[in-house]
Amino acid sequence: MGFLTPWFLGGLLAVGLPIWLHLLRKHKTTPTPFSSLMFFEQRTQSSIKHRRLRYLILFALRTLLIVLIVLAFAHPYVQQKNLPLTRSGEITVVAIDNSLSMRAGDRLAQAKNAAKSMIGGLRGGERGQVIAFGSRVQVMSEITDDHSTLNAGVDAIEPSDARTSYAELTRSLRSIAQAAKMPLDVHLYSDMQQTGMPANFNDLKLNADVHLVPHAIDSKPAPNFVVENVVAPRRVYDAKKQRVLVTVAGFCNPKGTRRVTLMLNQREIESKTLDVPAGGRAQVEFTSLDVPFGMNKGAVKIDSADSLPADDTFYFSVERVDPQHALFVHEADNMRGLFYFQTALDASGQSAFALDPATTEQTANMSPAKYAFVVLSDATNISPAFENQLRQYVRGGGSVFIALGRHATYGSKVPIIDARVLGNRYSSRENERFQTAAWLDSGHPALLTDSRWDDVQFYDTIRIDPGKASVIAKLADGSPLLLDQQMGEGHVMVFTSTLDNLENDFPKHNSFVPFIERSARYLGHLNNDPPSVTVGAFEDLRSSKEKGAAVEVLDPKGGRALSLEEATRAQNIQFTEAGFYEIHRPNGRGEVVAVNADRRESDLTPVPTDTLKLWQNTAQGAASSGGTTEGEQKPLSLWWYVMLAVLALAVAESLLGNRHLSVDKEAA
Amino acid sequence: MIQQFLDPAVLASINGLDLIAKTVVNGFVAGLHRSPDFGFSQEFAEYRAYAEGDDLRHVDWNVFARTDRCFLKRYRGETNTQILVLLDTSASMSYGSHPVNKMDYSRFLASALCYMANLQRDAAGLIIFDDDVDNYIPPSTRQGQIFRLLHAIEKAEVGTHTDFSKPFVHFQNFLHRKGLVVVLSDFYADPEVIVKTIEPLRFKGNEVILFHILDPQELAPKFREPMLLVDLEEPANSLEVSPEYARNEYRHKIDAHIEALRSKAKATGFDYFLMNTARPLDEGLREYLSIRQGRM
Repeated sequence: MGFLTPWFLGGLLAVGLPIWLHLLRKHKTTPTPFSSLMFFEQRTQSSIKHRRLRYLILFALRTLLIVLIVLAFAHPYVQQKNLPLTRSGEITVVAIDNSLSMRAGDRLAQAKNAAKSMIGGLRGGERGQVIAFGSRVQVMSEITDDHSTLNAGVDAIEPSDARTSYAELTRSLRSIAQAAKMPLDVHLYSDMQQTGMPANFNDLKLNADVHLVPHAIDSKPAPNFVVENVVAPRRVYDAKKQRVLVTVAGFCNPKGTRRVTLMLNQREIESKTLDVPAGGRAQVEFTSLDVPFGMNKGAVKIDSADSLPADDTFYFSVERVDPQHALFVHEADNMRGLFYFQTALDASGQSAFALDPATTEQTANMSPAKYAFVVLSDATNISPAFENQLRQYVRGGGSVFIALGRHATYGSKVPIIDARVLGNRYSSRENERFQTAAWLDSGHPALLTDSRWDDVQFYDTIRIDPGKASVIAKLADGSPLLLDQQMGEGHVMVFTSTLDNLENDFPKHNSFVPFIERSARYLGHLNNDPPSVTVGAFEDLRSSKEKGAAVEVLDPKGGRALSLEEATRAQNIQFTEAGFYEIHRPNGRGEVVAVNADRRESDLTPVPTDTLKLWQNTAQGAASSGGTTEGEQKPLSLWWYVMLAVLALAVAESLLGNRHLSVDKEAA
Repeated sequence: MIQQFLDPAVLASINGLDLIAKTVVNGFVAGLHRSPDFGFSQEFAEYRAYAEGDDLRHVDWNVFARTDRCFLKRYRGETNTQILVLLDTSASMSYGSHPVNKMDYSRFLASALCYMANLQRDAAGLIIFDDDVDNYIPPSTRQGQIFRLLHAIEKAEVGTHTDFSKPFVHFQNFLHRKGLVVVLSDFYADPEVIVKTIEPLRFKGNEVILFHILDPQELAPKFREPMLLVDLEEPANSLEVSPEYARNEYRHKIDAHIEALRSKAKATGFDYFLMNTARPLDEGLREYLSIRQGRM
């Protein structure tokens, strides 16, 4: 027995009150006049007699009452050993890991056999459910007491390329327990991969009524080689300039030599040998990627001969395309802008765009529709007809980059967007040598976070009223430096200085090349898709304009990944298998998406036993805080019992006290 | 309803002994039937035809002269009873456990007796005493006697201790006629001594009534806790008394005292009446009247 708040026991001093009242209180001998004392005797009254216990029972009751009240405040408790919980009506959940790592050896088969053996041991009428899990949980059977259905559910589990996620399994178990409102006895069959554990251990917290029994399948660390990563271009414009960088990793492996093969459209292109250190990584580079025009399926393979061959191949897709043409319009007397813009595009490494220069006079009869984008380099005095064509071009999805120079001051408006020109700002004239860019919108695709224009000196800029355009870069005086305005489906970017290294020194700075390259990609609608994605990634299938149009998706096995209904309605698709998905979009464009399994699955290192125990204990911890656990000592509060005794004593004291009072009254 | 006017507590709220006495007596008398006896008082009652053997002194000759028939004139009874009230004003009489102490009660009773005697045309007198005679008003039927008596009763103050021998010896000298002697006292003395002291009055032919005035707390003291009691007549004398003693032994003693006084009084020919100050006055008056009736 103990006390939760033992300091209240100090209140036991209050017992002194009834002791004083009954035993120690001095008898008051106030002289009382009486008519005659002739019938009273001179008898010495014992002081002890005065102080005797007048009402022994009343005294005992009052003392006990105070003691019990003090005890009640001190919250007495006794340790009670809980009886083992009888889990009545519990559901046996068989959870089988079918992630990529379970393809190693015959792990999945072992897991299924062990699960079947466990199901065979279930008593008749005992209910169960089979689920398979990787990165998602699949319900293989409903909750049933038909054990053949459970066995069929186990048989139906197929290996997948998904990644293990014990957090997702835990979430599902919580949901099942809440929905069924019954305790779960979960038998987990998995290789207990360390990489399947979540970063936050709280995600593994089980409900109090979930009893987890992990069954580790072949959980010894096995050596495994894997093609961890392949760096390859998504698009190839010039095959001679391309290279492929391959990273091969080994887990729990001894040092070994591996043969790495680059394949393209199922043809072996090139092979190299690679020394992989023990438990480390090694890289090999293929210097050319001579791919035919169109979508190509690339792959890098190693001859690992380990227990998990599924991760020995890394898929990537490559599209061979011609460079897109872009129109660069300049004044006849100023070719400098063209020079710097062309040089910047060439320096970016990929010749995605080929510039077609033209003077303002030459544009009179030109149509911009065939160009990926149009650049007006200090060429604002274009013919109204061309300007009108540019407007239509932009509204239809085209893009224009306008660099404003001294010619802009001849007119009052910026072409196409009709922003008002307020004049030019010549820094030398205003006792300043130059201006700098003070603020950049790092969220804009042309200006990413690493863009730094701090040391660029702007001598002469054109001041314009932004109007509807959004300012994405400002000068130190707050005037706009770079603007972007959407018109219809297209964009117009306005740079309030020139690209010719005269009115600024921007072309000579490091930041110029990435700015031009990113701006060109942005304006040319050149997406930056990676050459491959991981299993579980999503891909958009249609834009808002293509609603209702059918999209055809072929999975790596060549089957249709979408049903007919999904083909017309699905907005996106999740890739669930490693390999190549072929997507035929409504606009007729075909794409090949390379999908690889998450390489974290290749690390077969199992979870430490302690961590597993901790996971199991999350349920027991919850139970001990809110419910009962088997054989646990639990404090049983005696507060209520003490208070009931206090109540009973108070009633008894009241009755007895009243009785004495009535005797006294009668005597009085 | 009438009894309410005889309640000592109610009487205590009335100012003036004359009013109290009047209230008591009127209230008491109104509850009685008028006595059927006819006496010798001056108050005319009726005429009755003369019968043989009647005293001729009572024949109304005027009526005989007018009607030539003999009629006797009858009056309400009248005696020449003399009543002397002896009021003990010793210190012990000031004791009271409720609003009316023994002294007040005795005053009410004495004044009521005097008032009643005055109504009966009896000669009422008063002796106020403690250890000596404090005041003496000789019995008389003179005009204003009742006011003198009431005034004396009202002015009576509590004295020291009781000593029957000295005042009784003293006022025996004043008694020249036989009459009714009413003693109002708590009689805190040896019954033997009391009776011996008062006995001579009886020997002289007086009717003696002893009104033993006691407070209920004196009759049955009930203490909740031990008390330090101080004697009212002897303030230096104090005793610590336990409730058990008061409840048991004291009661036995006071009962024995009362019984001894009663028996000795009866043996001597006194009328003894115990007056509990918590009880109405009519019992005392009835006692007086019954004895007064016996004297007619």
